[in-house]
Amino acid sequence: MDASQLVKGLLDVAVLAVVRDEDGYGYDVVRRLRAAGLEDVGDASVYGTLRRLYSAGALTSYVVPSDEGPHRKYYAINERGRSVLEDGAKTWRAFADTVDNVLGISRVAA
Amino acid sequence: MTAPTAPTAPTTPTTAADAQVYLAAVDRELADLPAEDRSELLDDLAMHLAALEEEADDRPLVARLGSPTDYAAELRAAAGLPERSDPSKDGRAAALLQAAQRLRASRAVRELADFSAQLRPAWWVLRGYLVVLVPRLRHIDGTRDFPVPTLLGSHLIGGAAVAVAVAMSVALGRRQLPRLGTLAVLALDLVILLGAANILLDGQWRADRTRVAYVTSSAGDLFVDSPLITEQHGPVTNILAYAADGKPLSGVLLYDQDGRPLMTGQQHWFADGCRRILTLPRAADGTPVANSYPKPYVLDPEGRTLNGDPVTAGQCVVLTPPKVPLPTFPKPVASARGTH
Repeated sequence: MDASQLVKGLLDVAVLAVVRDEDGYGYDVVRRLRAAGLEDVGDASVYGTLRRLYSAGALTSYVVPSDEGPHRKYYAINERGRSVLEDGAKTWRAFADTVDNVLGISRVAA
Repeated sequence: MTAPTAPTAPTTPTTAADAQVYLAAVDRELADLPAEDRSELLDDLAMHLAALEEEADDRPLVARLGSPTDYAAELRAAAGLPERSDPSKDGRAAALLQAAQRLRASRAVRELADFSAQLRPAWWVLRGYLVVLVPRLRHIDGTRDFPVPTLLGSHLIGGAAVAVAVAMSVALGRRQLPRLGTLAVLALDLVILLGAANILLDGQWRADRTRVAYVTSSAGDLFVDSPLITEQHGPVTNILAYAADGKPLSGVLLYDQDGRPLMTGQQHWFADGCRRILTLPRAADGTPVANSYPKPYVLDPEGRTLNGDPVTAGQCVVLTPPKVPLPTFPKPVASARGTH
């Protein structure tokens, strides 16, 4: 399977996870995801996800003006975002366990 | 934009002007969105482009972010916004549909459709025949299954099965089926056709290989000089000898009416797909005795299949001789011994 398809579905959880401990602006989030190993994630996907999570009330945002360089719009996780993240992490864990199981069985059969 | 980056600006392809062009292009792609979504997404992108400008990365924007069209599409998808409704694309689709309708109405296509409709009954008949024949051809048991397949060892039963299958196939073809049924029948047709094609190709392949084996194998010449061939079952590859009491014999030497050693063909094919080697008994001077029967075949010590691939565990089976219909002889009468 194409790994990028999997990544797309998990981007919500991944984006929430990288702002869980520290607020981040768009490019910041992109870089954190890349640093965590999600190198194929497109910039547009990250910005789109941030926008959707913000619209859904899982993130809040604030702009920090800057004298040097561009203004930055920071995103911060809120209570709703934390519960979405928790649910997502649980779903992922269950899914990953199931897939591990399936792959384990098929390895034995082969 | 800022003082530190100014000196590198001329050599960096990502300039403020590039960013403006890119931003405008993405803006056009988002033109159909509500104003609030659109301005938020563009604000984000403007800030992102400004941040990228600060980096000393000399790849152009298109290389880093993809084309503006792709960027906008990805942004929409990730943001859960609807895909772009493109009026020019709708126009193209309509034109394509029109062209397809014109094509369908054209004479040549109509005649082709009529012709294939006329051929359908012929296919129903062929399908009934293939349904019985194909599984029989796949199962190699030494019986002759073409043109009339055998069933339960009988050509008569096989022929009757073909007749029944053809009648059912035609009845099925004439019936108006619901959509799902039609799909199921189509799938079945495909399976039958693939099965038949597989057997055709496989038979061709085997024929080629056998021919190669005969021509190239010098040891084989010994066995195929004039191998026994029966009209119905093809080459004889082995002879199983039994004593009158039903005990299998081994090392039996056979000769024809003129005293020539009786030769049989060499068996190249085995049902389990494993390669076997003929190990003939040897005379005192070391020459192989080719008319000693039954000919013993042993598994290729290299553990190869007929294709030359390594065999898988449990693939090769121990060859068991076929059950033979041994006759029961009358018990020797006591007086017979006395007369000689």
